[in-house]
Amino acid sequence: LVLNSLVKPGSKPPTTPVKLKKVSTFQEFESNTSDAWDLGDDDDELLAIAAENLNTDVVMETAHKVIQNHSKLQEQHKFQEEHLQEEKQEEFAQLTSIAYGDNRLVKSVSEGHTSSSSDNVSENSSMQRSQSLPQTSTPPLVGGMAECTTSVTPVLTEREASRLDKFKQLLAGPNTDLDKLRKLSWSGIPKRVRPIAWKLLSGYLPANVDRRESTLQRKRKEYFAFVEQYYDSRNDENHQDTYRQIHIDIPRMSPEVLRLQPKVTEIFERILFIWAIRHPASGYVQGINDLVTPFFIVFVCEYIEEEEVENFDVSSLPEEVLQNIEADSYWCMSKLLDGIQDNYTFAQPGIQKKVKMLEELVSRIDEQVHRHLDQHEVKYLQFAFRWMNNLLMREVPLRCTIRLWDTYQSEPEGFSHFHLYVCAAFLVRWRKEILEEKDFQ
Amino acid sequence: MQKHNQKEHLYKLLVIGDLGVGKTSIIKRYVHQNFSPHYRATIGVDFALKVLNWDAETVVRLQLWDIAGQERFGNMTRVYYREAMGAFIVFDVTRPATFEAVTKWKEDLDSKLVLPNGKPVPTVLLANKCDQGIDVLMNNGIKMDQFCKENGFVGWFETSAKENININEASRCLVKHIIASESDPVQSIEPDIIKPHLNSSKIVSCSACFKS
Repeated sequence: LVLNSLVKPGSKPPTTPVKLKKVSTFQEFESNTSDAWDLGDDDDELLAIAAENLNTDVVMETAHKVIQNHSKLQEQHKFQEEHLQEEKQEEFAQLTSIAYGDNRLVKSVSEGHTSSSSDNVSENSSMQRSQSLPQTSTPPLVGGMAECTTSVTPVLTEREASRLDKFKQLLAGPNTDLDKLRKLSWSGIPKRVRPIAWKLLSGYLPANVDRRESTLQRKRKEYFAFVEQYYDSRNDENHQDTYRQIHIDIPRMSPEVLRLQPKVTEIFERILFIWAIRHPASGYVQGINDLVTPFFIVFVCEYIEEEEVENFDVSSLPEEVLQNIEADSYWCMSKLLDGIQDNYTFAQPGIQKKVKMLEELVSRIDEQVHRHLDQHEVKYLQFAFRWMNNLLMREVPLRCTIRLWDTYQSEPEGFSHFHLYVCAAFLVRWRKEILEEKDFQ
Repeated sequence: MQKHNQKEHLYKLLVIGDLGVGKTSIIKRYVHQNFSPHYRATIGVDFALKVLNWDAETVVRLQLWDIAGQERFGNMTRVYYREAMGAFIVFDVTRPATFEAVTKWKEDLDSKLVLPNGKPVPTVLLANKCDQGIDVLMNNGIKMDQFCKENGFVGWFETSAKENININEASRCLVKHIIASESDPVQSIEPDIIKPHLNSSKIVSCSACFKS
């Protein structure tokens, strides 16, 4: 039934004049979101890392332009901050409605244009950025990734240090301004403050500093009360299927090293089983297991000095610390899943809807790619199902997922709507390769 | 490479069964000739292509659809099954529950997919992980033959992706039946009706397969 309603002719791609308008809107969106990967850092070293794989003059030139423009923008930024933020939110709202591909999208686009052209300053700046970032440019993306790899140089650059300071000030309280934190986190969170920033962004921790410790204690206690209450039932007749599925899946996740540690296996099994039991509408669904990993890794980082988390022996941590990590991971994962519940309920309607939305979006922003896939009988469900189900975690390295989640958690509905646009950007980024591929067998 | 008088067939084959029974491992073994105990759980569907030089005149390209085993994805299977020509249903001999699920998978398949002639697609049952010795189900081959007959499987094989046992044989058995069903669009292929020319030159040692 869900499928039938999805493919009904009412949701046909729009006609040409509308399409043109939408393309420009997507580019605006793309340019507006491009600074997700920008560190606000013009360090040449980072650029070199960024360009390593691409290594073309064009890429370097583009990257420099981006940075130049970004620095210019930062000067203007103080004055425009509020305007820009409003505009961004407005545009995001437009895009979300566009993605539904129904008739109201035409209206919302034209409305959007009127409202943003009334704001000359911000429109101007958004155009600058748009010019500086052609669709094919990737360096900001790769550059952004460099930050969340286990960093090559432990010494912070001046800019990194000042960024870290900004975070520290915000986090210090007495009340953390969550809007400011979101804005700052959107373009990446420094590793050192990521654990606390994530806990705040996910809504797990309160903004008020004085209430944080007691909240943590209460929630951790609550989680282990669940464990006490439910975990013994894992071998009961009505729960053993759930437990068995989890048990089979844990050794089949990534990253390679952590998953094989018995201690990690135990913790993941508990987290997933408790979550499944407490969410009977979906229960455990393959793919949810992957979603624990980023939280777990980030929260482990809170307690260790090592740069290489993936090779870290988790059992060397004190039992109490491990329990804290476990409970925090459980709660933050729960918050994430609250936002994408319909991805995992029966027949996974959320995923089907998003795959359909992706198809409609790509048919508008890159008709050539869309047609190519269609001609070779590649269905979006065949490749994008996993992109939605595992939030691209199977497609990108863990460190990139962690960086991506900085932004997802700074967006309203980051794990659902914003993710859709990241998936579309993925296809557009690889368009050359896709178009060159003639044999999808 | 291809000779002028060669015919080429492209068949879409489904590989289905409960989670963790070894569907991905079987496909990797069959297509890439290797095995790893660390394949990640399949989400949605994965693909692989195997090219067989069937005989002097025929090349067969098998498009293998490796479909995620969790029941949750069940409703998606209708999309994945579309236009398949044959199927493997896999279970894990060390876990009886996965064998109990075989009939569910078969029913799901037959209810969502039929050949153009209205018949169910040829399906071979694979009893995987037979290297692990815990052979509770396989002791009685006659019972398995009976089970296959009753449930409409064209044959069954004990397989091991790890030790590379019987996977090629199972595939040849399935392809043979697909070719047979293709060349006979009207008449159904009952286990006891054999077109002699279809079996003539094939060297398929398909002991468990009661059509040869």
